[in-house]
Amino acid sequence: MVKVTLKGVSKFFREVKAVDDVSFNVREGELFFLLGPSGCGKTTTLRVVAGFYKPDIGEVYFDDQLVNAVPPYKRNVGMVFQNYALWPHMTSYENIIYGLKVRKIPVSERIERAREALRIVKMKEFATRYPNQLSGGQQQRIALARAIVIEPDVLLLDEPLSNLDAKLRIETRNEIKRIQRELGITSIYVTHDQEEALSMADRIAIMNVGKIEQIGSPREIYSNPDNSFVAGFIGETNFLTGEVEAIEQENAFLVVKVSSGERIHTMVPKNEFSIGQKVICSIRPENIRLLDKMPSTMESDQVFEAQIRSLTYYGVIEHYVLHSFGGMEVKATNFNPEEHKRREGESVYITFDPEDVAAFPF
Amino acid sequence: MTEGRRARVFHETDWNAFLIFLVIMVFLCIFLIFPILYVFRGALFEGGEFTLSYFRLMFTDPFYQESILNSIKIALSTTLITSLFSLPLAYLLVRYDFLGKRLVQGILLVPLVMPPFVGSIGMKQLFARYGSVNLLLMQLNILNKPIDWFGGGFYGVILMEALHLYPFLYLNTAAALANIDPTLEEQAENMGSSGFHLFRTVTFPLILPGYLAGAIIVFIWAFTDLGTPLIFEYRKVVPPIIFSMVKDIWVNPMGYALTVMTLIVSVVFVLFARRYLGRRSYEMLGRGHIVPRVRRLSGWKLPAVYMLLAVMVFSALIPQLSVVITSLAEEWFLTVLPTVWTTEYFRIAITHSVTVSSIMNSLKYSVFSTSIDILLGILIGYLLARKKFPGKDLLDSVSMLPLAIPGIVIAFGYVVAFTRTPLNPFVNPTILLILSYSVRRLPYSVRAAYSGFLQTSVSLEEASLSVGASPVRTMIRITAPLIMANVVAGGIISFSAAMMEVSDSLILAMQERFYPITKAIYGLNLRLGDGPYVASALGIVGTLLVTACLLAANRLLGKSMGELFRA
Repeated sequence: MVKVTLKGVSKFFREVKAVDDVSFNVREGELFFLLGPSGCGKTTTLRVVAGFYKPDIGEVYFDDQLVNAVPPYKRNVGMVFQNYALWPHMTSYENIIYGLKVRKIPVSERIERAREALRIVKMKEFATRYPNQLSGGQQQRIALARAIVIEPDVLLLDEPLSNLDAKLRIETRNEIKRIQRELGITSIYVTHDQEEALSMADRIAIMNVGKIEQIGSPREIYSNPDNSFVAGFIGETNFLTGEVEAIEQENAFLVVKVSSGERIHTMVPKNEFSIGQKVICSIRPENIRLLDKMPSTMESDQVFEAQIRSLTYYGVIEHYVLHSFGGMEVKATNFNPEEHKRREGESVYITFDPEDVAAFPF
Repeated sequence: MTEGRRARVFHETDWNAFLIFLVIMVFLCIFLIFPILYVFRGALFEGGEFTLSYFRLMFTDPFYQESILNSIKIALSTTLITSLFSLPLAYLLVRYDFLGKRLVQGILLVPLVMPPFVGSIGMKQLFARYGSVNLLLMQLNILNKPIDWFGGGFYGVILMEALHLYPFLYLNTAAALANIDPTLEEQAENMGSSGFHLFRTVTFPLILPGYLAGAIIVFIWAFTDLGTPLIFEYRKVVPPIIFSMVKDIWVNPMGYALTVMTLIVSVVFVLFARRYLGRRSYEMLGRGHIVPRVRRLSGWKLPAVYMLLAVMVFSALIPQLSVVITSLAEEWFLTVLPTVWTTEYFRIAITHSVTVSSIMNSLKYSVFSTSIDILLGILIGYLLARKKFPGKDLLDSVSMLPLAIPGIVIAFGYVVAFTRTPLNPFVNPTILLILSYSVRRLPYSVRAAYSGFLQTSVSLEEASLSVGASPVRTMIRITAPLIMANVVAGGIISFSAAMMEVSDSLILAMQERFYPITKAIYGLNLRLGDGPYVASALGIVGTLLVTACLLAANRLLGKSMGELFRA
C-alpha cells in the first residue's frame, strides 16, 4: 500500500489558477475525499495525481518517490472516470483484462483475476456484454472492476456516481465503500455531493476556488468547521453577523451582539478575537430548539421570542423560518415531527446552546 | 498578449505536434498555396510590373464577356433547377412514409457516381438532331422537323449539371430537415401556425443553413465544370477556354486572368456562405434522441406523390440509361432504339491497350492519392482534435481551403507552377496528378478523421493510460479501432472521387500513356467511328467501380455518409 502526498501543488490554465498551492497527505488504505462546488479544482487535482496534468508548481509523492515526471501509464493508478470511459469496441471482459495484457500477466492468471474482479463488483454474468448492452449502474461496476483488477497502488474516482439515478447512487455508494475496505486500496474520490462524502469518507478535503479550506474527518468537518465557507458549504446553517462585545473564560466564551441588536453566546471560538471585532456566527438549523413557552429555569439568557414565518413539512423533518421579535431571521429544523401542532404566524420561543454556535472572523 | 500569457502558451504547446504541423504546412504551401500564388502573379504582373490590363481585357472583350456571362447563367440556372427539384423531394422523403421510400432514396443517389460529362455522351446520342427523342416525337407526329434541344450546348450543359448535382442539395436539405427538433414545430402549431405558414416561418428558416451549404456546392461545381461543356463542344464558357489555354501558358496570359476570376468567384461565394452560416448555425435544443415527425401518406395524395417521384426518378436516371444504351448499341441509325445490340464495346473497354492502361493508371493514382489523404487526414485530424500548438487555426483553415478552390484552378496552377521543375506534367504528370487528387479531397479525409477523434472521448484514451498502456499502445488498441470506420469511409470517398476526377485529369494528363479513365473517355469520344460507344462502355466500367466503393463506404459509415458531402 502506498501513501500519496501533495506538496504545494499549483496548476494553471492560461490565466486561471485551477489548483492553488494544494497540500495534503492520503494515508495508506484511506478513502480520501476531495469535495467542493463545481469548478473548485478538485478534478484537476485528481488528474494531477493520475498524471494527466503535470503540476506547474509543487510535488506529488507516492510514498517517498517523487512522481511529477512519471507518465500516467507508469504510475500504477486505477481510475474510474465520470463517464466510465468503457471502450465500446470491447466486451466487459476485454475491458477488464486490457490492463493485465499490458502488464503481460500470464493468461491463466488473467482469467483468474478478471473473474475475481467481476465477483467483487457482482457482475459475473455480464462478462461477454458490450458496454452499450449494459445499464449505467452496470457500466459503472465494470469501470470499477477494470480499475481494481490491475491491483493499483492508488484508486482514483472522478465523480463516479454522478450519472446514476438517486436510488442507485445510494446503493453503489455502499458497494464502493465495501470494495474499498475489502481491498484496502489507498483511494482518492472526487465529488460535489456532500452526502456522498460525509457517508463514505475517512477524511475529506474541502476545496474552494483552487484552495483547500479544511481537511478532516466527516464529523470534524460538519460539527467543527474551520471557516464560514466550510460551515456554509456542508449542511445548512444560519449565518448571523455581529460584533464581539465581551470575551470571557480565557478566550473560550464570546458574547456577540448581532446586527439585529440581540446578544448570543458562543463557546467554541476557533480563532483569537478582540473586543469590537466583526464576526460571523453559524448555527445549524437542527440545533435551534422550539419551545412553546418561556422555560422556567433560566440556564442562559439565550431564549428569544419569535414568530413562525413559514413551515414546511418534509416527512422526516419539519422546516421553519422564524423571525425573532428583535429582528433575527433563522431557519430551524425539527426531526420526527409529531402531530401537527404549530401553525404559521404563531409565536414560539427559540433557544440554542452556546457550544452549537461557531464564530469566525468576518 | 502579456509576457506571462505568452510564457504559458509556450508552456502548454506540444512541440512534437508543432513539428508535425510545420511539415504539413510546408507540404500544403508547396502544393496548394504556391501554385495559386503563381497564377495570381501571371495574371497581375507583366515583366515584373503590376498591371490590371488582362482583367480589363477580360471584362471588355465581347468574347470573354459573353463566356463569363454564360458561366454565371449556367451556374445560377443549375442552382435554381436543383433547388426546385430538391426541396420538395427532401420534404417528401423526410416527412412522409410510404411504400418504396427506401428504394427511391437509393436511386436518387445514383447520379452522384457518374460524372456529368460521361452522361453527356449518352445524352448527346439521345437528343441529337436525328437522335432517339426527335425521331420518337416525329414518329408520333408531334414534331415535323427535328429540334435542337441543347441550344448549341448551353441548355445541355445546364440539364446535365442539374441532373448530376441535385443529390448534393437533396442530401444537405434532407439532413437539415431530419435534424429539426420536432418540438420547435409543435410549439408553432400550438400557437396556431400550420401548413405553408408553418413551413415559411419555422421550418424553412431552420433548414436554410443546410440548404445553402448544398447550394454553394452546386453553384461552384456548375460554374467550374470542365468536362460537360467539352463533350457538348460548347466553348463559350470559362472552363473550356482555360483548358484550351493550357497549351500557350507562356505566350497568352489570359488563361491566368480567367483562372484568377474563377477562383475569386468561388472563394467569394464560399466566404459569403460561411459568414451567413456562421451567424445562423442553430444548435437544436432537443437533448438526446430526436423522433422526426413522419406521417404516413394516404388517400388521393399517395398516387400524386408516386407520379411526382416517378417523373423525378426517371429524369434523374435518363443520363445513366442513355449511356448504357449507347454502350450496347451495335447499329443505331435513324431509329429510336438501336436495332442491333452488342457487348463488343465492353470487350474493347476492358482489353484495349489505351483503356486498360487508363484503368490501371486511375487505380494507381487513386491508391496513392488516397493513401496520402488518409495519412494527412489522420495527422491533421489528430492535431486539431487533441493537441495545443500555435497555428492550429491556420492549419484548420488551410486544410479546409480546397473546398473553396475549384479543380480547374488547382490543375491550371500546377501546370504553370511546375512545368519548369522536375515535376513537369508535359513530361510525366504522375506525381502532380496524385497530389492534385489528394489535395482536392483532403478536407473530406481530415473531416472524417477529425470527427472520429471527437466522437472518441479523450477519457477512453486516458483510461488506457491509467491502467498502464503506453501512448503508442493506446493509439493502436483503443484510438485506431474506434476511428477506423470513419477513416476508411473517408478514404473510400477520396478514392472514388479520384477515380472519376475530371478537371485535374483532363488538364494534367497530356500523353496517352498517362491517361486516367476520365481523360481516356474524353479522348475516345473525340475519335470517329466507335469512339463514343467505347467511351460510354468505359464510363460504365468506371462508374461500377466507384459504385462498389461507395456502397462499401455506406456500409461502414451508415447514415452519416451524407454529411461528408456537405460544404
